[in-house]
Amino acid sequence: MTPHLPPPCLICEGLERYLGEEESRVHVLRGVSLTLEPGLVHAVVGPSGCGKSTLLYLLGLLDHPDAGSITIDEVPVASLSDEDLSATRNERLGFIFQFHFLLQDFTAAENVMIPMRRLGRARMEEMRARAEFLLDAVGLGAKVDRPSRHLSGGEQQRVAIARALANDPRVILADEPTGNLDTSNSERIFSLLTTLVRENEKALLLVTHNPEIAERCDWVHEMKDGVIFESRPGLRAPGSAPS
Amino acid sequence: MIPPTLYIATRFIVSRKRSLILSMLGVVCGVGFFICTQAQTQGFEKYFIQSVLGTSGAVVISDRFQPRYTQFSGTSSADMVASSGQNARKYYEGITDPYRLMRVARSFSNVLGAAPIIRGSVSIASSFQSEVLRLEGIDMRYHLGATALREQIISGSIDGFGAQPSAIILGWMLADKLQVRVGDNVTVTAPTGTRTFKVVALSRSGINIIDETRGYINLGVAQSLLGKPSSASVITLRLRDPGRAPELAAHLERLFSHRARSWQERERGNLALFSTLKISAGITVSLIILLAGFGIFNVLTLTVLEKLREIAILRSMGYRRWDISAIFLWQGLIIATFGSLFGCGLGALLTFLVSLIPINLRGVIFATHFVVDWNVYHYLYGSAIAFVAVLVATFFPAQRAATVPPVDILRGSGQ
Repeated sequence: MTPHLPPPCLICEGLERYLGEEESRVHVLRGVSLTLEPGLVHAVVGPSGCGKSTLLYLLGLLDHPDAGSITIDEVPVASLSDEDLSATRNERLGFIFQFHFLLQDFTAAENVMIPMRRLGRARMEEMRARAEFLLDAVGLGAKVDRPSRHLSGGEQQRVAIARALANDPRVILADEPTGNLDTSNSERIFSLLTTLVRENEKALLLVTHNPEIAERCDWVHEMKDGVIFESRPGLRAPGSAPS
Repeated sequence: MIPPTLYIATRFIVSRKRSLILSMLGVVCGVGFFICTQAQTQGFEKYFIQSVLGTSGAVVISDRFQPRYTQFSGTSSADMVASSGQNARKYYEGITDPYRLMRVARSFSNVLGAAPIIRGSVSIASSFQSEVLRLEGIDMRYHLGATALREQIISGSIDGFGAQPSAIILGWMLADKLQVRVGDNVTVTAPTGTRTFKVVALSRSGINIIDETRGYINLGVAQSLLGKPSSASVITLRLRDPGRAPELAAHLERLFSHRARSWQERERGNLALFSTLKISAGITVSLIILLAGFGIFNVLTLTVLEKLREIAILRSMGYRRWDISAIFLWQGLIIATFGSLFGCGLGALLTFLVSLIPINLRGVIFATHFVVDWNVYHYLYGSAIAFVAVLVATFFPAQRAATVPPVDILRGSGQ
């Protein structure tokens, strides 16, 4: 009897994307396909300009592919309205940017609560409690009410990570999430994310230049010139053979 | 829980205090000035209308006219008027049976009072000098119910006026010219003879042309003095709703075959002047509000440009295009709401201060201070104009914010 496999969190097939107009038009993605299964961490690595961030924006439903399809939680997104795409982003996707992109007029907790407010499913006290919990998890339990502009770059990045987890999304998309963090915080955040993904049947797609981080992921996808030319298990992923 | 878009809008707007204050100041001044100017122009207009209604009545029925038809045979050609077009009418001066017409007129629900008046120009003299007097013979039993004469008395008394054949009420400016006071005697010279009257009261209608020429005596005495027994020059009507005077006047004119003119028709020139002033003030102040609108448009457009990154972040977190628009529309709404509220306060304060300014108006109307009208509609209209201006000014930046492609911003953003 075949064991029951949970459906993939995200599938993309044959994604094509051009950027620019006329003579400056560049074929950035050339038929990229990926499947993010629940409980697994994927890394995308490759040189600058190879299309990693463009892929991430497409999977994050912030951009539209010129060809190909994206399915999130078994729902093809191509036919969704802006309203439904926004709802999917809010509820199912957590985005961590290379630069933290916090709202500067808000405190750390308020930043984390912004996606929760949009979802509107929890009471204010519940949202506040979850924000405090997430900020504590990223090591900012003592700074929940500090205005984000008064936090250091690394602290702001950690608030952004807590914010991406606010609505407990199925898919986490991260563009160099630990790029601005020191080694210990980088380790702490990576551990937090991978634990969260593995224990809660989520999927994490990580764009990184850090080979140490990439090899600790379950899958490593190597990209060049808009194509994933190799997908392999991470060398130091849990369960992989020691190198 | 407040909507997330309102929450974010509030934080955005509070974080830009200087822009907020500047934007709001424009709205506050616009609304305040609108209220104050409307209070003044409307104040003078209403004062004028009240004076007209209180003195001459809402509808004045006067000369009888011949029904509009062409007589083909009969009487002498001297009585005939060429009947070409609508205006050919022959008028017979005065009203021969005023009390019968008054009875019929009072049967209309809009008519509160009706009074006969006989008019004539005579000469009045005191020991100091003589002047022209526009004499009005009145029946005090009816006159007080049809005019505001009692309220217009500024000295003396009109009690028992009907029983005093030699009593006269003078306009206060005429009395001033004649240098007479209550209790003094004056001599009135008419075509039928000369008669002495005792000044029993002085009146102030507020309209100078009336106050410097008019005097009231009893109807019967005036009829005898002017040689017009048992007739009246006009019947003046007081109405429950003076705004409907033109319709009633037209109806009565057809019914009575007497000329009937509403106050709107009689004072068309002055009302047009007030109306022009009101429009002129309205345009000036609307321009201020428009200017405030431009200011808000600029501020919000700049805010959109400054907040592009925040907009992209919000979109990435699942905020819809409409949510982004709403964030900026809320900001406009907040500015309009508080701007209007403070503007109404400023308007009330300015109106009060303006009403204290002493003036010496001796033209169409008499006034010692700025006359202002406290009218809740000025506040509502001022606020409504501000809301429309602000929301129009907000709409375009809000639309722009909603259409910003988030990925373009995120791709181009860095620390």
